[in-house]
Amino acid sequence: MAHRLAELFRYRDLVRNLVVSELKARYKNSVLGFVWSLLNPLGMMVVFTLVFGVLWPNNQIEKYPLFLLCGLLPWNYFSASVVSSMNSIVGNGSLIKKVYFPREVLPIATVLAQLANFLLAFIVLFAVLLIFRSNLSPWLWLLPVIILIQTAFALGIALILSTLNVFYRDTAIVMEVLMLAWFFLTPIFYSIKQLPTHYAFLGMNLDVHRIAYIVNPMASFVNMYRDMLYYGYRTDPDFFFRTAATAVVILAFGYWFFIRYSSRFGEEV
Amino acid sequence: MIVERSHAPLPATPLVELRAVSRRFVKRAERHRSFQDLFIRLLRRRKPPQDLFWPLRNVSLAVHPGDSIGVIGPNGSGKSTLLKLITGILEPTGGELYVHGRISSLLELGAGFQPDLTGRENIYLNGSIYGLTRAEIDARLDDIIAYAELGDFIDTPVKHYSSGMHVRLGFAVAIYTEPDLLLVDEVLAVGDAAFQRKCLHSIQQYRDRGGTLFLVSHDLDAVQSICQRVIWLEDGEVQADGAPTDVVMAYLNHVAQTEQEKARRAGIPSSAEIENRRWGTGKVRITAVELLDTDGQPSKVFYSGAPLSVRLRYEAAETVANPVFGLAIHHDNGAHIAGPNTRFGGLEIPRLEPVGSLTYTIPALPLLEGQYVISVAAVDSVDSETYDYHDRRYPFQVFPGQANERYGLISLGGEWRLDPASEPSQADPALEARRPEAVTQTRS
Repeated sequence: MAHRLAELFRYRDLVRNLVVSELKARYKNSVLGFVWSLLNPLGMMVVFTLVFGVLWPNNQIEKYPLFLLCGLLPWNYFSASVVSSMNSIVGNGSLIKKVYFPREVLPIATVLAQLANFLLAFIVLFAVLLIFRSNLSPWLWLLPVIILIQTAFALGIALILSTLNVFYRDTAIVMEVLMLAWFFLTPIFYSIKQLPTHYAFLGMNLDVHRIAYIVNPMASFVNMYRDMLYYGYRTDPDFFFRTAATAVVILAFGYWFFIRYSSRFGEEV
Repeated sequence: MIVERSHAPLPATPLVELRAVSRRFVKRAERHRSFQDLFIRLLRRRKPPQDLFWPLRNVSLAVHPGDSIGVIGPNGSGKSTLLKLITGILEPTGGELYVHGRISSLLELGAGFQPDLTGRENIYLNGSIYGLTRAEIDARLDDIIAYAELGDFIDTPVKHYSSGMHVRLGFAVAIYTEPDLLLVDEVLAVGDAAFQRKCLHSIQQYRDRGGTLFLVSHDLDAVQSICQRVIWLEDGEVQADGAPTDVVMAYLNHVAQTEQEKARRAGIPSSAEIENRRWGTGKVRITAVELLDTDGQPSKVFYSGAPLSVRLRYEAAETVANPVFGLAIHHDNGAHIAGPNTRFGGLEIPRLEPVGSLTYTIPALPLLEGQYVISVAAVDSVDSETYDYHDRRYPFQVFPGQANERYGLISLGGEWRLDPASEPSQADPALEARRPEAVTQTRS
């Protein structure tokens, strides 16, 4: 595995070129390309605020647009990384059959391009922050670390799914449903505090609140972003380290899984 | 299975070494599986029969720095699989594979071009796919742009390029990466003739600079002129490995034999067709025609410069006086090349025995590579009665063999002589005036 990492480092310029070309291709095609990427979260923000503020006002969360955005942007980053990297190997099949290069550069470049998008979307977030005058956390310097951990998590998932998609072509279809479920199970448009701490199921007393937190790393991520930007809280060290450990494990497993099967990509794509 | 790869050549070690390398593929009815299939298979609990095949079996070879190796063999012989194993696109199923050095492959020129990016941006992208760093590409950028002859188009998105421009840029990047080993797979079949020559020239220059070359091609001429060693691969195994002329000859012999086999199995054309191409009074009947090779064995494949004999067997109902037997050799395109007969050859046959045979021997076949067909005839002495005529019924094929000539139908066997001029040449003043320099002079 060490020499694979060394090889990946040798190809770092390829990763950079792929990221740049992906971004250039995306923003060159339409003059509005860049603006669109900012309008999308704004539009979503308006829709959700309309639904949960006006149409179905059972929601007692103040500064709801900011609250929503703190969850929606990280989710969009994660979801776009997973969905677009899933096809990164199969979609580049002709290249993979013709030229050798470490195949992991493809999902890595895809996730990094999404990261660049995510960072650009912070322009919108900070604008909304200014409007709502939220109290920022004194621990705001942790934000880049959180983004890094989330990137590690997204990359791990991307490596696993891009590999699976080579061997099982209906991975994308299965994931479409799973991602939708995951979106609803993650406290993005609602607060995790609204989840019940007691729920009777088959005679068992379940703490849904805690389970949602522990089982779903995305819930932790969303909460950490909110602690930083919405609540102005220093975030829970317990969950911070737990999530970081999960992300590292997922990334390490994903990388191992990818390396193990990538030698067969040349014949399977 | 042992696979070892590094990006830098090691001293006193081959760049590439294969020891008893095999590669297996599983033929699947359906190419791509899905979770759905997986689920159904789990329910059935029965393994579907696996159809295996081995594109490479037990292949051992070593490529040393400075080698230029050609790989020949029919389609499906495992040539591409071999290249893919060396580059790392595929992994071997068994055996040992060692690769030390940076490899560029001209498998597909311009693979990995991003259509929305300009030519210049794609040079960086493509160069980094070959494993070059930004600084290394910077150093080569001007050469690549000049070589690709793109002019101002270099800053135009690649999607607006013609296919020729696409290929030129792809080749320029690949050749200027200056790899330790350059793999070339039938790349010479793309682009226009002028660019093909330029590619060939660049490959030769790369080789002359000490570059290591691995060339897969069906163009035996190119293989013989570029490579100093040739490997003949067939049915996934190395059939021969050695000096180009020897291996190419052995390969051609094998091809000839297989084609003879095929021709024999295909049988003779339908009798009706044959009757249509045969006429005559039947006073003398030509009953069999055989084309014989050097060893006197019947064959349908011959080499330029090697002996060829035509043996006619005949039967005559009665004794015939002064008959003339003749041949006609036509090229496949219809050209009538030669028409020897017994009278021209000075063979008088005052009295023909009822049964016998005649042989016409060509000591060194002057025909060049191509398909030919022979007609035979028996006529009377003044050519007024045709006893038997077989019109273009005996096809044969000529391979170049060791002959060097390539253009036209026949080798004239002439000789060239160079006489260094002892006095100043007397140039034709009219021609002299038409020389390009002269024209520019008059213009200025």
